[in-house]
Amino acid sequence: MARFLGPLLVSPALIIILLLFMLPLAASVIGAFEVEGAYGLGNFTKAYDFYTQDIVFTAVIVGLSALLTGLLAIAIGGYLTLGENPTAVAILRWLYRWPMFIPFIVVGQILRTFLAKSGLLNSTLIALGLIDPLSATSYLDWRGVVIAFVWKQTPFVALMVAGAMASLDRGTIEAARNLGASRLRILVEIIVPQVTTTLLVGLVLSFVTMMGVLSVPLMINAQAPTMITADIAFRLSTYRDYGVANALGLISLAISGVAAWFYLRVNMRQSR
Amino acid sequence: MSDDAYLNLRGIDAGYGQTRVLEGIDLSIGKGEFVALLGASGCGKTTLLRAIAGFAFPSAGSIHVGDHDVTRLPPDKRGMAMVFQSYALWPHMTAARNIGYGLRLKGWRREAIAARVAEMEALLGLEGLGARKPSELSGGQRQRVALGRALAVDPDILLLDEPLSNLDARIRLTVRHEIRALQQRLGITTIHVTHDREEAMVMADRIVILDKGRIAQLGTPQAIYTRPASAFVAAFMGAENVVHLDATCSGHRVDIAAGPLNRAASLSLDWPAPPSGRLEARFRSERLHLRRLDEASQEDGNAVELIGRVEAVVYPGGEWRHTVRIGDGSVLVDGTEALPPGTDVVVRVPTNGLFLFASPVDAPTGTPPSATDEPSPVRERLTA
Repeated sequence: MARFLGPLLVSPALIIILLLFMLPLAASVIGAFEVEGAYGLGNFTKAYDFYTQDIVFTAVIVGLSALLTGLLAIAIGGYLTLGENPTAVAILRWLYRWPMFIPFIVVGQILRTFLAKSGLLNSTLIALGLIDPLSATSYLDWRGVVIAFVWKQTPFVALMVAGAMASLDRGTIEAARNLGASRLRILVEIIVPQVTTTLLVGLVLSFVTMMGVLSVPLMINAQAPTMITADIAFRLSTYRDYGVANALGLISLAISGVAAWFYLRVNMRQSR
Repeated sequence: MSDDAYLNLRGIDAGYGQTRVLEGIDLSIGKGEFVALLGASGCGKTTLLRAIAGFAFPSAGSIHVGDHDVTRLPPDKRGMAMVFQSYALWPHMTAARNIGYGLRLKGWRREAIAARVAEMEALLGLEGLGARKPSELSGGQRQRVALGRALAVDPDILLLDEPLSNLDARIRLTVRHEIRALQQRLGITTIHVTHDREEAMVMADRIVILDKGRIAQLGTPQAIYTRPASAFVAAFMGAENVVHLDATCSGHRVDIAAGPLNRAASLSLDWPAPPSGRLEARFRSERLHLRRLDEASQEDGNAVELIGRVEAVVYPGGEWRHTVRIGDGSVLVDGTEALPPGTDVVVRVPTNGLFLFASPVDAPTGTPPSATDEPSPVRERLTA
């Protein structure tokens, strides 16, 4: 009897995962290979013909955003760990987390008004005399998407990284200071190597999150090339073309998979 | 000592917020000297070391190395290198990279660093381990890598923050001697923080005993052991047996009145006697003489004789350790033969093992407090 009790107890959770997650996923994967009742690669060739540029655009935008997110997160975590001005550290600690609580669609909304040709950013720059009014351009293109992603994801990665830095043995930092290392060298050579795993986890999670954001490219970058998510939405809402949409979804999954593989590889090399 | 003093501390105060951790520390350390800062947890010894190292700035006072005022200099501008309690090795670097990092910061060439690292590895018996990460080294090897990292930059002063406390007991005993031998070979001025009395005794030229942020006593291990300046130091140095006696003192003479728990005695001390009145007498459990009450003494009179009853006897190795009840308290007494519990005995404490101090005003009359019954603050701090 006891032999069946275990499986029985996990079955509700298992069934929910199977019905609500695995089954739709399998249906989508199968759907990606379904072309007018038969199986084939037609959806992928179509996706390739129409959207290669968008696929590359997506990978580059998300990759660049992850890179910048990582750099900013290290800078924030580093200042929180090594900063010598207690007030500045306290202000930064209080401030940096805010974007985490703002949904992507609100981020898109905020940045639309901020980055537009007559937006706050340009009017500030003009007021400061840094640019002249005629050369003001809209940032609502790929740059806007990157800014939105980095703005939204940096706090999350910084939170993880700062936590890992805070739990380091302070002695490892003091030992380097004792031998004369500057704060920048301590950050790059002593602290970051010790938190690489945490940093990579944060970046891979951010990468996958950014791959799936629809609102930001729709609101900020309503032009070509755009991100895969916008293409999927377009295939579905305009053409009811589930085949190509599924194929694009699978391609997104593959790109995310590359990020995850990269993470696993680094992780394994570290533990060896 | 102040004439050839190399490291000079003058009136060092330090603290965190409202809490004062160090108060008016004056200390002079000669070049090539090995000084141990000894004290219980929370006595301020690590704070003092960190102030010397430059990780914490004192709120008052000055620190000089030679003629240079280093009080406000950053840690790397003081010619000091520190070995941390946790070793603080960088886990992502090999042992060789750990040792060579300080030289890399100084901009040494690659070959010069390799040569210096090899020299350090040979000095510390780390040959062949250079390519290993800290996680692949034993505790003793890590400790030596940490020492090598500090010594590689050829510092003027070596600071050791309880470097042996993470080693297991047996290795610790050999590493003590290794560090001491190395220090003497290199002739490097060394300050060693520890809470282990024996460690301080066998390693240091001089010991600084800290109590509540002040220097309780400063001297050679022998001087501190045989001539503790206060009851606190005596207790810290192992004289944890306490009895209280009434005495009349003048010059080097101490006349102790007979009491219910002790016989009259007339002592002549090698050092000045404390003021007359109630005295706190402290002594160690060893080098005492224990005999049955009905046995006659055959020794001269320069000793205090206490009357009590054996409560328990154990064999910790070497001699038998008796717990002897004297009045309301009890003392520990080692003896070559075991006397069974219940025996009425005389504990004879020779003058050269007896430390007499003016009793605190609120000390009770009679013989207690004792070494074992009441939790004395010293004992608590020693075990903390």
